[in-house]
Amino acid sequence: MSRRRTAALPTSVALLFLLPAAALFAVFVLYPMATALTYSLFSWRGTAQEAFVGLDNFVALFTTEPYRSQLPRAFGHNALLFAGAMVVQNSVGLLLAYALHKRGRLRRLFQVLYTMPYLVSPLVVGYLWSLLLSPLFGPVNAALRAVGLESVAQPWLGDPDTALWVVVLVTAWQWVGFPLLIYGAALGSLDPAMEEAAMLDGASSRQRFWYVTLPMLMPVIGTVSVLTFIFSMEAFPIPYALGGSSGSPAGATDVMSLLFYRTAFHSGASNAIGISSAVAIVLFVVIVGVSVLFTQWFRRVERRLT
Amino acid sequence: MNRRTTFAAVTTALVALTLSACAPSSDSPEPGTAAGEGCDGEAVALDVWSWRTEDVKTYEKIFDAFEAANPCITVNFQAHLNTEYDQILRTGLTGSDGPDIAQVRSYGLLQPLVEGGNLEPLEDLVPALADFDEAILDGSRGREDGAVYGVPLATQTIQVYYNTAIFEEHGLQEPETWDDFIALNDTLLEHDVTPLAVGARDGWFVPTVHDALTSAQYGGADFQQALRDGDTDFTDPAYVDSIQTLKDLQKYMPDDVTGVPYTDAQVLFTSEQAAMFAGGSYELAFFQDANPDLDLGVFQVPPPPGSALDHPVTAGYADGSWGMSATTEHPEEAETLLNWLATPEFGQLVADELKQFSPIPGVEFSDPLQQEMWDLYQANPAPYLLLVDYRYGDPVGTDLMGEAGQKLFLGDTDAKGAAEIIQDGLSAWWTPGE
Repeated sequence: MSRRRTAALPTSVALLFLLPAAALFAVFVLYPMATALTYSLFSWRGTAQEAFVGLDNFVALFTTEPYRSQLPRAFGHNALLFAGAMVVQNSVGLLLAYALHKRGRLRRLFQVLYTMPYLVSPLVVGYLWSLLLSPLFGPVNAALRAVGLESVAQPWLGDPDTALWVVVLVTAWQWVGFPLLIYGAALGSLDPAMEEAAMLDGASSRQRFWYVTLPMLMPVIGTVSVLTFIFSMEAFPIPYALGGSSGSPAGATDVMSLLFYRTAFHSGASNAIGISSAVAIVLFVVIVGVSVLFTQWFRRVERRLT
Repeated sequence: MNRRTTFAAVTTALVALTLSACAPSSDSPEPGTAAGEGCDGEAVALDVWSWRTEDVKTYEKIFDAFEAANPCITVNFQAHLNTEYDQILRTGLTGSDGPDIAQVRSYGLLQPLVEGGNLEPLEDLVPALADFDEAILDGSRGREDGAVYGVPLATQTIQVYYNTAIFEEHGLQEPETWDDFIALNDTLLEHDVTPLAVGARDGWFVPTVHDALTSAQYGGADFQQALRDGDTDFTDPAYVDSIQTLKDLQKYMPDDVTGVPYTDAQVLFTSEQAAMFAGGSYELAFFQDANPDLDLGVFQVPPPPGSALDHPVTAGYADGSWGMSATTEHPEEAETLLNWLATPEFGQLVADELKQFSPIPGVEFSDPLQQEMWDLYQANPAPYLLLVDYRYGDPVGTDLMGEAGQKLFLGDTDAKGAAEIIQDGLSAWWTPGE
């Protein structure tokens, strides 16, 4: 079949059809990417590009303040966002998908309900939650106090110990529909005969989930995990709405994109473009590198299972 | 899964990179197309850019006055979204499609354009600049050459607003001494009124509150000069004391102040649940709009005993100016417009129509409260220190005070520790005396 298609469409014509997409990709993706890379290799005076400095901007990023201490702190927070998203968002998403899997009519309704927040701009979601969690006028603490849980009422976003977890939970609140949909689709495509066979052999429902369904979902879990990693590394609107550009309180919600934003548009440093481009490149390399390693690892796990 | 996921990884990651390199362009009409009525020679259109999208109509009205006096020049006013403006302007001024005249930021954020050679120095072109207040002109100076690159547009002052009805209800008056100030705070607290509406969750608001309450304590402009001369740094006992004062006043602020957003502090004040608000002159229009029944007064906080200054001060700063593109095709017409932007006529329009403090000498304000704030500032001016002198590198002083102040309020550090956070952070790019 594939041979017939190739014959019907000569390579030159096929390339011609690919050209518009390739041109768009080159102009809007490859070109800016290459520009950012070259920007990071030069020193800057404001908007004027100066001498080629090789890796000096990267060296500065890892050896001089404030970047030396802010970069690892921001990365650490991104990593916690990822861990939190894996634990909260993806596991809840999976459980919800599993629970809804066999509920024919209700499934659609709940899928839509859980996916709704996903349609709202994350910046709006962030501001909404910041209002809900306000210690003065926020209904969350008011509700806690009303039911006698005064000791639980917190300045949620004002305490460095809770602020980052609020970011995790708000992100999960918005994005839980994403794993829910993907796992829901994956569950629907599984062969029910497998589970029936396990049931006939006397496996309990818990055993069927752990030893039959879950292993078969492994490829999808891999995909969701890698995408979650990317989203967590690039988190910007929700942390920005909840903690501002400096990651309030006291840097407790600072993440890589905020560091980039501050360095690029918020500082009066002469070499802002050089350093911020280096931040962008480091982030890019980490995301691509870890994603590729992740993917390969999951591929090995899958192979072992099949 | 694999190839698709890797592809998704690559493309999604690219978003971070494109952020740093995108270049929006503007579709400005060709200059010279709009011929002015009553113009004998060739008509010229000047492109003027601004970040005040909310003021487009008002500015068009203001520029009508200029066009009437200069029939050969048409002003083509364009506003871009505030949050994207800096990026658009940088691109516009380095490309061929940029403005002739543009609103530019002050202090540190002006420097990228100056260093890039995108703006013309103006002292020779606009003689009226010589009459401006030196401290305000500092906002438009290039860091290295000290030349002025903008005609100052607006000034902001920082003081304490108070609700006159609440003050009257509890028999309180504007404080004359520090003891008065503390006594009135205590009285309000006893009557379950939040004395000071402060929200420290937004880091940028902390240095504003600090300077509104304690600028005179650490020495205002004198301390600024001592730092510039290299005679002291931020661990100076006077500065540490001023931070301690901020901590001491925490009991008059809302509980869990680091969790209170700035906007909630505004609501606390406009809904008359708090008696005082330490903030900028830019709040006035919002306060009057949010609660037209609010009776407002302003005062300067008297310095506590042992302060560096014996009189209260008002902190202020320059907030934006008009710059001229180094690549303008109509330098003569741009010069004419810039000179008009430095006239009291324009300044009065800014004050009356835009409700902003024009720093042009001779401007008067119709709102009595606005006039009072301006008079207080004129009588005893001080710099909004961390914004004025400490936004020329990374990290910026106001962010450091935001972080240090939050730690101070949380009890994670003391006044000395907070001062050290600021000093250590700034030492990445600043040495006292340089």
